[in-house]
Amino acid sequence: MSTTDRDRANLPMDPLPIALRERVMAASLLARGVGETVPAVPAISADEAFERAADAFYRLLGTLSEQGWKTAALRGLDVQELVGHLTGVEHDTHRALAGDPAVADAEHVESTQGSAVRQAGRSPAETLDEWRRAADHTLELVRAPGGDLAADGCAGRIAVHGIRLPLDDLLVVRAFELWVHDNDIRRAVGLPPSVPDPPVLRLMSDLAARMLPYAAARMGLPPADVRLVLTGTGGGTWDVAIGEETAGRESLAIVADAVGFCRLAANRVTPAELGSHITGDEGRAVSVLAAATTLALD
Amino acid sequence: MEGSDALLAARLAAGDDRALAEVFDQLAPSVYGGALRVLGNGSAAQDVVQEVFVELWRHPDRYDPAVGSLRTYLVVLARHRAVDLLRSELRRVARQERHYRLTPAEPPGTASDEVMAAETASVVRAAVQLLPDGQRRVVELAYFGGLTCREVASAMGIPEGTAKSRLRLAMAKLETVLDRQLLEST
Repeated sequence: MSTTDRDRANLPMDPLPIALRERVMAASLLARGVGETVPAVPAISADEAFERAADAFYRLLGTLSEQGWKTAALRGLDVQELVGHLTGVEHDTHRALAGDPAVADAEHVESTQGSAVRQAGRSPAETLDEWRRAADHTLELVRAPGGDLAADGCAGRIAVHGIRLPLDDLLVVRAFELWVHDNDIRRAVGLPPSVPDPPVLRLMSDLAARMLPYAAARMGLPPADVRLVLTGTGGGTWDVAIGEETAGRESLAIVADAVGFCRLAANRVTPAELGSHITGDEGRAVSVLAAATTLALD
Repeated sequence: MEGSDALLAARLAAGDDRALAEVFDQLAPSVYGGALRVLGNGSAAQDVVQEVFVELWRHPDRYDPAVGSLRTYLVVLARHRAVDLLRSELRRVARQERHYRLTPAEPPGTASDEVMAAETASVVRAAVQLLPDGQRRVVELAYFGGLTCREVASAMGIPEGTAKSRLRLAMAKLETVLDRQLLEST
């Protein structure tokens, strides 16, 4: 009788020796740690991630027709105005890197609206050039040898648009936003969606997972231990502790596609659209996913 | 479980150790049972189980859900590992027999070693009986008799090249026969 036949017939299997499970798990985790992905994704720096996202965005913009630039994309902005918004974000980032408190709590959309509407009457090439120079200047500032930023590294926090993050995380946020708007533009002009480079996606996934407790706290979610498994190249496994350490915490497991989860964190898909696999209280898990959507800057 | 094999594979690739624990709880009895039937030795079968699950954890991408179920993949992997172990034991037994014949006064190994060796030799000897006469005789003389190819050729009155070629053919058949026997045994 084959093993499958045996199983189907519900016949008893060979008894498993006691302690074999523990021995196998220990040997496995010695060979490869929890959260280490297969295939392994090369680690890159946050400024490299930002540069790659900027390059991808620049390449996309280079393919657009005149009509494409005028297509409605987001929040009533056409593509050209949306690029203007991103130029405004870079300018505010420059000010934040210089320690300007005026941009620390500025509203993300409102603060950049002037830059968006300023694109009216400009050629797409001018808009594109201005944004590229702004993005390149961000890189120059964070890479400046011997400068204050280089000396501080990620130890100091940069405050801009209501978020206060170490420099490295801020750069990943910037890469995140470029990818999100890249896809907003693609959707507007009828192009298929893009996926970040695996090393960039890995940093984005990691940031979204680490930010989850803050989003959950903002939503007032009760304490829970969440095993977050993001599948696909650029994903990984995170144990996220939500709320204070208390007895009787809810234990949840959420498995979702890494790209999908990043779209969720960008508020571009809903928890229902994400198609996650949940273990534990489904309602609580959906609340955690809903909290993730509030991470979006838009 | 088969319906969720792709998801389990994706979780394993993402480094989710709980997925590995789930797979173990579901499939380790089948893997262990398969290895035990091949090897007839619980300790060796446990080693095979460990090897199979560590392999799955280290290289989850080697399992393709489109090709078959995770259960089939692991059970087949266990059989292959068990057969490898059996072959390795065969070589060890043959070496040991030659060694004992040359140095009979030397004490043999532990009792469990002897049991394992006897079980292995028994399975292999049964497989050898299925070979054609000419090839069977070459294997018996070379492996169980401890003769060199030249000595086998001389004993059988055939050219050394023929002895070598029969040995190669016999070993290839032996592997096939062993594989089939082991598959049928599960």
